[in-house]
Amino acid sequence: MAPKLEVSRLSKSFGDLEALRGINLGIERGEFIAVVGPSGCGKTTFLRIVAGLEPASAGDVKLDGRVVRAPGTDRGFVFQNDSLLPWRTVFANALIGREVAGAIGPADRKRTMELLKLVGLEGFEAYYPRQLSGGMRQRVNLARALAIDPEILLMDEPFAALDAQTREIMQTELLRIWERGGKTVLFVTHQIDEAVFLSDRVLVFARRPGRLQAEIRIPLPRPRELAIKRTGEFVALVDRIWRMIEDDVRAAALYENA
Amino acid sequence: MSATSEGAKTLAAPASRPAATAAAHPLADALRRRYLAGTLSVVGGLLLWELISRVLVANALFLAAPSQIAVAIYDLAMTGELWHHVGVSAAEFAVGYVIASVLGIALGLAMASSVTAKQALQPWVSGLYATPTIALAPLFILWFGIGIWSKVIVVISLVLFPVAINTEAGLRTTSERLIEMLRSFGASQRQIFFKVSLPSAVPFILAGLKLGIGRGLIAVVVAELFGSRAGLGRLISQSADAFNMPELFAGVVVLAVAGIVLTAGFGWLEKRLVPWTRD
Repeated sequence: MAPKLEVSRLSKSFGDLEALRGINLGIERGEFIAVVGPSGCGKTTFLRIVAGLEPASAGDVKLDGRVVRAPGTDRGFVFQNDSLLPWRTVFANALIGREVAGAIGPADRKRTMELLKLVGLEGFEAYYPRQLSGGMRQRVNLARALAIDPEILLMDEPFAALDAQTREIMQTELLRIWERGGKTVLFVTHQIDEAVFLSDRVLVFARRPGRLQAEIRIPLPRPRELAIKRTGEFVALVDRIWRMIEDDVRAAALYENA
Repeated sequence: MSATSEGAKTLAAPASRPAATAAAHPLADALRRRYLAGTLSVVGGLLLWELISRVLVANALFLAAPSQIAVAIYDLAMTGELWHHVGVSAAEFAVGYVIASVLGIALGLAMASSVTAKQALQPWVSGLYATPTIALAPLFILWFGIGIWSKVIVVISLVLFPVAINTEAGLRTTSERLIEMLRSFGASQRQIFFKVSLPSAVPFILAGLKLGIGRGLIAVVVAELFGSRAGLGRLISQSADAFNMPELFAGVVVLAVAGIVLTAGFGWLEKRLVPWTRD
C-alpha cells in the first residue's frame, strides 16, 4: 500500500540559508510520527511545507498520492500559539475550518459539538477564548483542526506554552483522542520525552543544513499511561535520541546566544 | 480559570451580605457606593456656582446662576425655540457624522488594502487630521451658504480623518498569526478579510467613531457661531450679543448634555458590538 504521506527529496532555502536538505520520508495511514531536533533544524519549516503554508524549493510532498501545493482541508494544522479568534465563542472558533470550506449544516454543528465534548470542553461552547486557561485554549485549537475531518493532523509544538503538569495531561488526552479516531499525526516538538511518549516513530532532525538524521521506532506498547515515562525502556529511548542531537543542541544554544 | 471564579463570585455575593437591613436595599446600596462621590461633587459644585453668581458676582451680565440657567432652559423649551435650535444642530450633526463615518471607513479600507492608495492618501489624511480645519468654517459658509450644508461640511472635515486613520490602523494591525490560521484552512483573501481583518478592526473603528462625536459637536457649534440662521451655536451667539447670560449657558448646557448622552450611548453600543473586549 502506498504511504499516506510521501516526502521526496524535499529541500527548502531562504536566500542563502539552507533550511532543509533532501528529506525523504513515508508515513503510513494512522501512524503517529514525532519530529524532534534542535532549534534551527527546520522541523517547523518542514511542517509548514506539508501544510502548504510555505512552498518547497525542490522536491515534493504527496498526500494520498496528490502533490501538496497549497493549504487545504485534507490537513488540519494545530498551532503552537492557539490562534483563536477572540471575538468568537469556543463553538464558533471550532467551526471556522468548516465555515471556510463552505456552508455549515446541522451535521457540521453536531459534529463540532461532539468534538468539543471529545476534547473535554462540554459546557464551554459559549465561552470566549479570554475566559479559558491555556490548556483549554489548546483543546479548542485541536477540536478546530479535527472539525474539518482532515486526512492528517499537523501539530506544531502545541503544548510548548503550557506548564509541565498541563502538558502531561494534554499528552495523555491527545493519545486518547488519537486512539479513538485513528488519524495520521505529524507532531513537531523540541521535547524528546513528549516525542517518545506519543509516537510510533521519532524523526530526528539535525541542523545546518536541516536534514533527517535518523528514524527511531518506538516499540512501547499501547495504550500508554504516564507511568511508562518512568520505565527503563522509555528512559533508554529518550537518552538515545538525546545523545544524537546533544552536540547540535549545544551548538544551537551557543549560536543563538552569540 | 476566570469563568468559574466569575460564576462563583455572583453566587457568593448575596450570601456575603451581613445585615438583613442592608439586604433589603441591595440596589440602593450599590447605587450609593457607585455614585455617591460623583453626585456630591456635582451638587457641591453647582451650589458653589450658585453662591458665587448670586453673592460674589451678583451681575447677570457676567455670570448666570444654575437656577437661572434651569429657568432659561425651561422657558426656551416651553416656547419651542429650544427644540428648533436643537433640531437644526442635530440634523447638521447627524448628516455630517453619517457621511463622514461612511467615507472615513471607506478611506481607511482603501489605505489598508493598497500600498499605492496608502502612499497617495496618507499625507493628506495625516495633514488634514492635524490641521484645525474648523478655522476654515467661514470659508465653507462663503462657499456653501448660511444654511445647514456648510455646517455638514465642517462636521465632515473634523470627523472624517480620525475615523479613516483608526480604520486603517485597525486593519493594518490584524494579527499575522490569525491570518495564517485561516490560511491553513485554505481561506481566500476575501474570507480572510471578512472573518479576520474586519472583525479585529471593529474596536479600532468604534474608537475612531467615538472620537468623532466630540469633534462633530464642536464642528456644529463653531460653524454656527460663524454664521447661521438657527442651531445651538446660533442661540449661544445671539444670547451673547444680547448679554443674555442665562440663555447663553442654556445653550452650552444642552450641548454638554448632548455630548454626554451620545458618548454614553456609544459606549453602550460598543459593549454590544464588541463583547469580547469587555472585562
